Amino acid sequence: MSKASVIYDKFDRHSHAQGLKGHATHYCPGCGHGLAHKFLAEAIDELGVQDRTVAISPVGCSVFLYYYFDVGNSQAAHGRASVVALGHKFANPDSVVVSYQGDGDLASIGLAETIATAQLGAPITVIFINNAIYGMTGGQMAPTTLMGQTATTCPTGRNQYNGQPMKMAEIIAGLDGPIYVERVALFDAKQRIKAKKAIRKALRNQVEGRGYSFIEVLAECPTHLKMSPEETESWVKDFMEPVFPLGVKKDLTVEPWFHRNPPSFEGAKILQLAGASYEHPVRHCSGFPTHLAPADISLKLAGSGGDGAQTAAMLIARSGINEGFDATHIPSYGPESRGGTSYADIHVAEEEVLNPGSPDPQILIAFNAPSLAKFGPTVRKGGVVIYDSSVVSDAPLLDPSIKVFPVPFTGIATDLGKAVVKNIVALGALQAATGIFPKETFLDAIRVALKEKCALIPLNEEAFAWGIKSVEALRR
Amino acid sequence: MALKERPKPFLLPEYCKGCGRCIDACAKDCITAGHQINPLTGLVPIELDLTNCNACGLCMDACPEPYGLRPAHEGPIKKFELEDPAKLYGVKPSDAPEPQDVPSVVLPLPRTEPLVIKGTYASAIGAILAGCRHVYGYPITPSTEGAELMAKFLPKLDGTFLQAVSEVAAVNMMYGTAGAGLPTMTFTSSPGFSLMLEGVSYMIGSELPGVFVDVMRGGPGLGNIAPEQSDIKLACHGLGHGNTQALVLAPSTPQEMLDLTILAFELSFKYRNPVVILSDGYLGQMTGKVQLPETMLKPGVPKWAVYGDALHRKNLISSIFLTETDLEAHNVHLNAKYEAMKVEVRSESFRCEDAEVILIACNTPARTAKGAVQELRHQGVKAGLFRPITLWPFPIEALKTALHGAERLVVVEASAGQLENEVRLALSKAGIRDYPEIESVRRMGGILPQQDEILAQVMGRKEVLA
Repeated sequence: MSKASVIYDKFDRHSHAQGLKGHATHYCPGCGHGLAHKFLAEAIDELGVQDRTVAISPVGCSVFLYYYFDVGNSQAAHGRASVVALGHKFANPDSVVVSYQGDGDLASIGLAETIATAQLGAPITVIFINNAIYGMTGGQMAPTTLMGQTATTCPTGRNQYNGQPMKMAEIIAGLDGPIYVERVALFDAKQRIKAKKAIRKALRNQVEGRGYSFIEVLAECPTHLKMSPEETESWVKDFMEPVFPLGVKKDLTVEPWFHRNPPSFEGAKILQLAGASYEHPVRHCSGFPTHLAPADISLKLAGSGGDGAQTAAMLIARSGINEGFDATHIPSYGPESRGGTSYADIHVAEEEVLNPGSPDPQILIAFNAPSLAKFGPTVRKGGVVIYDSSVVSDAPLLDPSIKVFPVPFTGIATDLGKAVVKNIVALGALQAATGIFPKETFLDAIRVALKEKCALIPLNEEAFAWGIKSVEALRR
Repeated sequence: MALKERPKPFLLPEYCKGCGRCIDACAKDCITAGHQINPLTGLVPIELDLTNCNACGLCMDACPEPYGLRPAHEGPIKKFELEDPAKLYGVKPSDAPEPQDVPSVVLPLPRTEPLVIKGTYASAIGAILAGCRHVYGYPITPSTEGAELMAKFLPKLDGTFLQAVSEVAAVNMMYGTAGAGLPTMTFTSSPGFSLMLEGVSYMIGSELPGVFVDVMRGGPGLGNIAPEQSDIKLACHGLGHGNTQALVLAPSTPQEMLDLTILAFELSFKYRNPVVILSDGYLGQMTGKVQLPETMLKPGVPKWAVYGDALHRKNLISSIFLTETDLEAHNVHLNAKYEAMKVEVRSESFRCEDAEVILIACNTPARTAKGAVQELRHQGVKAGLFRPITLWPFPIEALKTALHGAERLVVVEASAGQLENEVRLALSKAGIRDYPEIESVRRMGGILPQQDEILAQVMGRKEVLA
């Protein structure tokens, strides 16, 4: 029929439209791509979505899809067309995105992307041209090459050592994401009518926001099958179709679901999400705690996962920053942080933290015996060690200049009814043992951290007070 | 009522490749395989005899060529004009308008107290303030918290976070969203960044913006998850295949993670090129003080984008240039852009004015080196720190100034000399021959150089020299 208006009047991108190239495709005589292009162009026309359409050109013979389609065009890397399509679809949910891919692209190098995109199920349209051979690179074995079929990389015919053909329509139909999967062909007038209908339906499903559709087109490649165009049509019918049966593989009736609001750019909402505060925190310090160090205090908190060492570390850093100092906190991370040891390096500096690590801390809080044994000896002379005496029975011998405070974090917390507040007991002990910040500084930080769980504030305040009392008792 | 007469087919033999699909389609045997080679195409077009034609149209349905078998035009053809079927079928040029910019809007943000957050979070919040609402990623330690925060925040802002099937897929989702003209980013770490490089090369080739936050970890191979400055070489000289460069930013505090992420989006759109933020495992995980800016951005749609609307229909995003001269011209254009990026150099010189010993470091090691400078000054050594913030392009002019009067040059890094190579290359390219012998303090495997190691290098050597 007459040329769809979606096809450019002149193919300016085809070798600058020189000579015949301005109006002829780059495809070989008898190639299936031309027909698939035509049916796609007609479907875009009929649905009236030319302005909204983004066509993704793949790698392979159809890499030059953008020569012909008067729509938004984006050219993808080999195998990646379906995920590029997702990038476009989520950027503009109103766009109509078509991922047009060959067999090497979709079923070999891009298999992971193909399957994952199908299973995601977002409404895009995938047109898969299966001609059982690599075209552009010159006749190599495709993932869909038939058993026994020769190709330059299986010169004696595909055998078991080359694997077996990928039946993509069936694979895709076996997933939950897609709503419509059909395999069509081009070899006679009847098949062409079905192909055209299927492509239109696949596109309509997207326009209506119903879901992901996949059309596999059995196409002819006379050049690399080394046959005449007519023989190739027969070959597709006689040899390909039995392996790749035609027909609808999946067709669900799904109500339109893909509705996405435009992104929000509301500053107040972003600040709320970020946890930003408009209130200036009250300062309780009269100056930097120089009795501990002239300009930079190094701490380490160590325990096992679940002891709350990271939360306590965070509260120390926040307290320092609320007082107008600089502070940093580096957690241990990675495999050992999932249930094993968990430790935190903290620095509080009058102006700027320069060495955020604490290989030789001035203050150590240890939540268990291994932590105390490991890090106790690294504490600087004249430093402070506070440890959980509920779980540590034998404390290692440390340098006599180090002040040691055994405090039953777990015992106190359990008596208060919640073992998880042992880290707050530890903070209380830290405050009393070192005077790093006034009590109110810590309490303010605790209250802010619990502002979403106000009911827990009294318990935490009590735990903090008990930590202080324990140290005071040790002093007496 | 008379049926409207259906058109019979018509063929310009020059646009027929002779595939013969129309031959089977015709029930009236009007079409036969040709015998004569067309001198213009070298192909053998079909032959058409319309005596028995009933205008069923099936032959035209079967023709794969857009300008092949067509409904017969009205009136006789006088003379075939090669490049202008419009003369035959009537002019129907693309009605797509000239693409236009939809401008971005800068919005005010009320002043707030500093946040106390980790580096990856700071970067994520920076991206949101820079207008990014599309983030794609694949979990990898120690960068994952960035993706996790985006997965939590973006749905509340009607944005998109997709966990891709791999880093390869993630970067190509970025390619799609960037192609649509919107800000997009990812968080990754060294092995993941390796996987993304194919996509980075395509983004550079197609001139697409996008921000990559690489929280570097120990390598090669699976290495470990502790901090290393392992990807300086990759980011500065190995962004996939072809003639590729990107601005490479190296933050050293959580505050800079935020500030440089915002800057990265700005530069990425300014130059239509990806921007790489090289962080390190410590910095990604480190919590610190972060002050938010007082403005944020609502992005528009640039005129080059393929957004999927009428205004941008004319556009093409592509990195393929089949004609050699076209590709050469594209590379000349890219080179001019890389040259223009050189104005973006940034660095910090700390107490370099009178320094006799210059330390060079970036990322977390730069903090340690700054501490070492203070300690050295305390001990009477005139030391200074030069910290490149852009690793590519390298801030060579600022280094030149810092080196004035320097007797020693010590590169402090958590790698086997990747930063030193950047320094040497920059000095060499700038034609600077007269500089002190380069000394180094290097750790690898996830261990960062410590202050005492820097002091030992500087003081130890000093004693030897004395």
